[in-house]
Amino acid sequence: MRREIPLAITFVVGMTILMSYFFAGTIPGTAWNLKNLAGDITGWGVLVSAFAVLLASVNLVRIHGAAISRKRKGWYNSGILIATMVAFALVGILRKHNPANTGINDLFQNMFNNVLSPLGAAMFALLAFYIASASYRAFRARSLEASILLAAAVLVMLGRAPIGELMWGQFPVISKWLLDIPNMAGQRAIMIGAAIGGFATSMRILLGLERGHLGGE
Amino acid sequence: MNIFNKLQNIDRRVIYAILLVVLVIPLLRPIGIPLSVNETTKTIYNIIEDLDPATDVVLLSFDYSPGGSPDVHPQAVVIAEHLMRRGIKWVGVSFWDAGPMYAEQIMKYYEAQGAMYGVDFVNLGYMAGGETAIKNFGDNPRGAFSNDFRGNSIDSLPVMAGINNITDFAYTIDFVSGNPGFQEWVRQVQGPHGIKYGVGIVTVSVPQVMPFLQAGQVQGLLQGLRGAAEYEMLLGSPGAGAAKMDAQSMGHMVIILFILVGNVAFFMDKKKDKK
Repeated sequence: MRREIPLAITFVVGMTILMSYFFAGTIPGTAWNLKNLAGDITGWGVLVSAFAVLLASVNLVRIHGAAISRKRKGWYNSGILIATMVAFALVGILRKHNPANTGINDLFQNMFNNVLSPLGAAMFALLAFYIASASYRAFRARSLEASILLAAAVLVMLGRAPIGELMWGQFPVISKWLLDIPNMAGQRAIMIGAAIGGFATSMRILLGLERGHLGGE
Repeated sequence: MNIFNKLQNIDRRVIYAILLVVLVIPLLRPIGIPLSVNETTKTIYNIIEDLDPATDVVLLSFDYSPGGSPDVHPQAVVIAEHLMRRGIKWVGVSFWDAGPMYAEQIMKYYEAQGAMYGVDFVNLGYMAGGETAIKNFGDNPRGAFSNDFRGNSIDSLPVMAGINNITDFAYTIDFVSGNPGFQEWVRQVQGPHGIKYGVGIVTVSVPQVMPFLQAGQVQGLLQGLRGAAEYEMLLGSPGAGAAKMDAQSMGHMVIILFILVGNVAFFMDKKKDKK
């Protein structure tokens, strides 16, 4: 029953939402409207996602708490993580329950503006340096395909940067052509392939042929 | 070890230092490289110019993280500026957890200048659930949120009067840095409900939007930081976007130079080895 019940729930819920796109009426023999039922189910999906955030937080505390208590290498980083998580959570919860308190609102906003946002931006900004190093060391025209890729990349970069347009007015035209024609064709092909693959996988999950989401074998 | 071999094995800190200098100098002393405006940017501008301030409400979806904010937040800022100048009311929503905070940043700025929260704009807040949440909101925007981000009842907010369906918004602009993003919006909202939908996205994801733009599912596109800079030009108010374009230009040139030098060193070294 451990597998059968989740499979049955997956099938019934999935089919209800799928059928609601094709049929507007009520389920025969009942007063349940398919569209209303599907709407309720998607609402439950939002609640489940919120619980998933809570579960993730509990798991983080468990893993990093263990790292601190066992004094593993770099345990102080785990301490900083838990401390900042608790600080943000506390201030956020206080803000939620005291919406009129401007002090707490400003504190939460300042914590976000001056800590989380700049740190998050800085983490992604580091990528620029890795890309620079990779472009020097690894981007080699070793084959015809690699040469075409490199040439396209250089042309698109020159087309997109204002300095490229200043150097030669045709760089933006070439860049636009690359994005509008070869790129469009490739993107469409990938999207259609992914959509067909996603549909096939979804049907396998709905019909219980794919059981990876249940865990175990 | 010949010179080309040494060039290929240069300390990566030298590369980092060159890039850092090239990026910082234009930020401190802007060069002022001229900037043309893409048609996709003009589309959003013209749509907003054609809106009626008396009746139209715009939906802005803040779907980006702190990591994507340097590319996308300037877009949200300049669009909000255009809406405020025209007196068009707007509603902020988010399907990314950091989104409401960026909306609050923009709203607090205008509140300090006399705008009224609830009358000129509203921040509905964040809805967990990704694509499911987007579908939920698209099917019933009023029912999806009982209170806004500041704890006010939705029914008490003048901006939300008359907003019962997603089609009651005259235009929706989605600021995106990843997933859930524009594909989920097109699948769950734009397609089923036929809304007018524009996108502001990080530069690296622009190629992915092109098929949707060509198909007419996306009407208007701001392409990364350049899109924000172009919009600032259209508004006649150069700001954060325009200021950073010089640095972006120089950064691109340096990367191209690195590719060229690296390949020249590679092929010359190979040639010497053959001899």
